[in-house]
Amino acid sequence: MTQAIKFSEDSRDCLQEVSNVAMGRAADLLARLLDVYVILPIPNVNLLEISELHMALSSLEDSESVSAVCQGFIGSNIAGEALLIFNDTSFSDIAELTHFKGVIDKNIELELLMDIANILIGACLQGVSEQLDVKFSQGQPVILGQHIKVPELIKSAKKRWKQTLAIEINYTIENRNINCDLLLLFTEDSLSVLKDKIDYLME
Amino acid sequence: MQLQEQDQFQDFHWMIEMLQTIDVGVVVLNKEYQIKSWNGFMENHSGIDSKDAIDACIFVLFKDMDEFWLRHKADTVFKLKNHAFSIWEQHPYIFKFKNNRPITGVAEFMYQNCTFIPIKDLRGEIDKIAILVYDVTDTAVNKLEAIKVTEELKQLSRTDVLTQMYNRGYWEETLVGEFNRFARTNRVSSLVMLDIDHFKKVNDTFGHQAGDAALKMVANTLTQTLRDTDIAGRYGGEEFSIILVDTDAKSSIVFCERLRKVIEKSEIYYAGKQIKLTISLGIYEVHTKLSTYNQWIEGADAALFEAKNSGRNQTKIYKYKDH
Repeated sequence: MTQAIKFSEDSRDCLQEVSNVAMGRAADLLARLLDVYVILPIPNVNLLEISELHMALSSLEDSESVSAVCQGFIGSNIAGEALLIFNDTSFSDIAELTHFKGVIDKNIELELLMDIANILIGACLQGVSEQLDVKFSQGQPVILGQHIKVPELIKSAKKRWKQTLAIEINYTIENRNINCDLLLLFTEDSLSVLKDKIDYLME
Repeated sequence: MQLQEQDQFQDFHWMIEMLQTIDVGVVVLNKEYQIKSWNGFMENHSGIDSKDAIDACIFVLFKDMDEFWLRHKADTVFKLKNHAFSIWEQHPYIFKFKNNRPITGVAEFMYQNCTFIPIKDLRGEIDKIAILVYDVTDTAVNKLEAIKVTEELKQLSRTDVLTQMYNRGYWEETLVGEFNRFARTNRVSSLVMLDIDHFKKVNDTFGHQAGDAALKMVANTLTQTLRDTDIAGRYGGEEFSIILVDTDAKSSIVFCERLRKVIEKSEIYYAGKQIKLTISLGIYEVHTKLSTYNQWIEGADAALFEAKNSGRNQTKIYKYKDH
């Protein structure tokens, strides 16, 4: 196991700024697609023990029923996963915004979930990769679960690595009951590369 | 100079060759949804030659394609300059191709994961998109099979073999759920415990198989009498339990008495001998003062006990007392 990497306050701020730009871009696309005002939060950047991963999901209660998609990304010696977690109560409002008419069943929810995941994950990763000057290839998205509780979501994470760098971005939409959490998780062995890239950016 | 050109041509040639033969479908579409590239994978699986495919509109070539959906997907790629993905769980396929293994494969068609990629022209504008088509039939079939088996196992673990009703474990889980729901919504439900009268005598006189037939008869009658929302299970031996959702004790009597009378009139024959049965029932409407679901069961049990003591073949209601 590699030694625990420490990020200085400055590096963390810088990463936060990078996430800010990436997240803003994703929010812009979402706003354009849905024609709504997206409330921008400040991304949370944290080095976490994998056992604390649930703490990264600060905006979601354990008892809430959620649906989630994850997508791996890799490139320039940086690897990780993007997770999009949707509060199940959001779907009716999203369907309304996308002008979907009809009964919202599990398939429609999946369709909506995938649509939003495509936009948010794609735009965020593109934002990060452009700023850090790296290229990622994205794997196929995978459904982590529909209508499950938050603890069930992350219990499947094996303890292959100890640390993860987590960027949590919580998107909410004005006057709408839409709440989703985008998590960018970087593997332990990506951290030193990421740190170099950020240090370079700060010079 | 000429040599260099020849080298470049060589490189171009083998790259095209590879694109033609890789085991992934590659389709390029322009903004009018005309096909601009159609590789070997697509030719072989669709049976459409690339000379027929090139410049044809994809919706004309594939009449049963979900045009609205594909346009929506492609539009976001053109507009947002983003990758887009479609997975088989969401959309089993975009191009309806036959299963790659026509003889031993179980799926009727090829399950596909697809990636949509924006392609820039020389000026940096997105004027085309590429669709990559992956055959994921094996993964999909395995996963669907696993889901089915899990579902069957779940069903099995919930079911009482003899009566095909919910077994006690699962029924109690739903009772807990109902008890918690009441705490949230304050909408009353009633719990009914029922027991076959003198069941031991049936067993002793006619044998255990006759007893089993009696249990099945009661279970069937009960199942037929239930409303869709009610949840019944075999609680143990000859005892059954029912949650009457959104029903107070008074309305529960109607249900219980109807069931009691139907069973009283029913006749079962076992090995040529007629067996007549009666049942006793106890009702307990849920109460805000109850702190655990066990107290709910105890109340219904007490009502059942009273019905037995008062001469059987009747229904009694338990009134809330401080526990």
